[in-house]
Amino acid sequence: MRMSLIRPLLARRGFSTSSEKLVASVLFERLPVVIPKVDPVVYAFQEFSFRWRQQFQRRYPDEFLDKSHARGKGDYQIDYVPAPRITEADKTNDRKSLQRALDRRLYLLLFGDTYGAPSGKPVWHFPEKVYESEETMRKCAETALKSIIGDLSHTYFVGNAPMGHMVVQPTEDPSKSTPFKRFFFKSQVIAKNKFNVGKCEDFVWVTKDELLEYFPEQAEFLNKMILS
Amino acid sequence: MLRITKLKPFPSSLTTHNLIQRFPVSGTAKGKAKIKAGQALKRSKITTKKPGSELKPGPGSKEQQEREKLCDQCLQAPTPVRYLKPKEREREIEREKLGLLSKERQREIQLMKRKDDKYKVSEKPTIIGTPGLDYISLGLVDEDKIPKYELTVEDGRKLAKEYSRVLMRKHRERQAKETTLLRLKKEAIEALPEGLREAALVPDLAPFPVNRFMATLTPPIEGYMEKVREAAQKISGTEKIR
Repeated sequence: MRMSLIRPLLARRGFSTSSEKLVASVLFERLPVVIPKVDPVVYAFQEFSFRWRQQFQRRYPDEFLDKSHARGKGDYQIDYVPAPRITEADKTNDRKSLQRALDRRLYLLLFGDTYGAPSGKPVWHFPEKVYESEETMRKCAETALKSIIGDLSHTYFVGNAPMGHMVVQPTEDPSKSTPFKRFFFKSQVIAKNKFNVGKCEDFVWVTKDELLEYFPEQAEFLNKMILS
Repeated sequence: MLRITKLKPFPSSLTTHNLIQRFPVSGTAKGKAKIKAGQALKRSKITTKKPGSELKPGPGSKEQQEREKLCDQCLQAPTPVRYLKPKEREREIEREKLGLLSKERQREIQLMKRKDDKYKVSEKPTIIGTPGLDYISLGLVDEDKIPKYELTVEDGRKLAKEYSRVLMRKHRERQAKETTLLRLKKEAIEALPEGLREAALVPDLAPFPVNRFMATLTPPIEGYMEKVREAAQKISGTEKIR
């Protein structure tokens, strides 16, 4: 980003996109909160090796072990009941909450008007914005997300480069018949449990499988790009 | 510093003279008394044995004795199954046939007669870790899907083979996915027009956010941190909560 500050001094100020339209869209993901499920074979082997080692483990007298459990000062821990891994949002399948599917990644999808969609028909899409002579595409993507979420303090954009692109051919509307390119930028949720998503009719937080339902035609591409 | 001298041939006569055993060597410094195998070697120890007070307890010694007992128990802590190499095992069997029993073997027999569970090899699958927070009770593993096995070497080998197979498959899938990710990224960067492409190629060296949440075993409990802080302030270090 520091180099791009020098850039405006060069004769690139008047840079405008040649006839192509570019759209920056954001794949806003929430990383898993809980570790994923363990394969039973893997667990079986771990258990076997644990029991095998325990056979040869020396059994020390109990008084000795109690002494080693003595806790130092300042080391506080209240007895707690561990929170369940399957939350209420899982049971009610509430797609708007971020507490669902804690062991998987959740992606944000919006329902509304987009650039590429035939006008007037709201469609499920990622948060996006048409590129209009900002400095970098990443900034464009950031403004896109900002317009949806409000502020970017709880987001982290991973790197300056996009993570994938698609060439979209709008078929229905003859006036917007130029194909445009949609670039995806990856950003992650940091330390926030609930977002106020505005500027669209509806939004969902979905896992990868549900995401593929929403986009039947681009399923293959999205499969490659997401959740690798 | 190099010394250029002719290396004298090492006088072999001297060596042979020194290394021939001229005197018989005994086990102790005390002389050539015949040593019986297994007898404790004499050491120069000053023991003063007062007659009639063999079992005198030392001063303040109950605690000391307990501590020593604890020490002994720790130093000779037993294991449920003794680790013996195959040769040693064969030797043990032969010795049993002859009727000789080593101390360890005797101990083993005694331990096997005990009724409680501490010194036995557990037969059913046990829980690894603290009882509430282990994988099975938290639902991470489906208990019924775990394959049954005995604690033998062949079963162990089979399990290890499957374990490595599963993990390697997952690793390879993950590597393949990562390569597709990188490939898509490269294509996307190339699809960008000129100026934006260079901006995208600039490595983003801003540090990662420090408070990025790491996946844990159970989800965070709301209000736990506040509880701990309050309790710590209240108690102010004079008591322990747990």
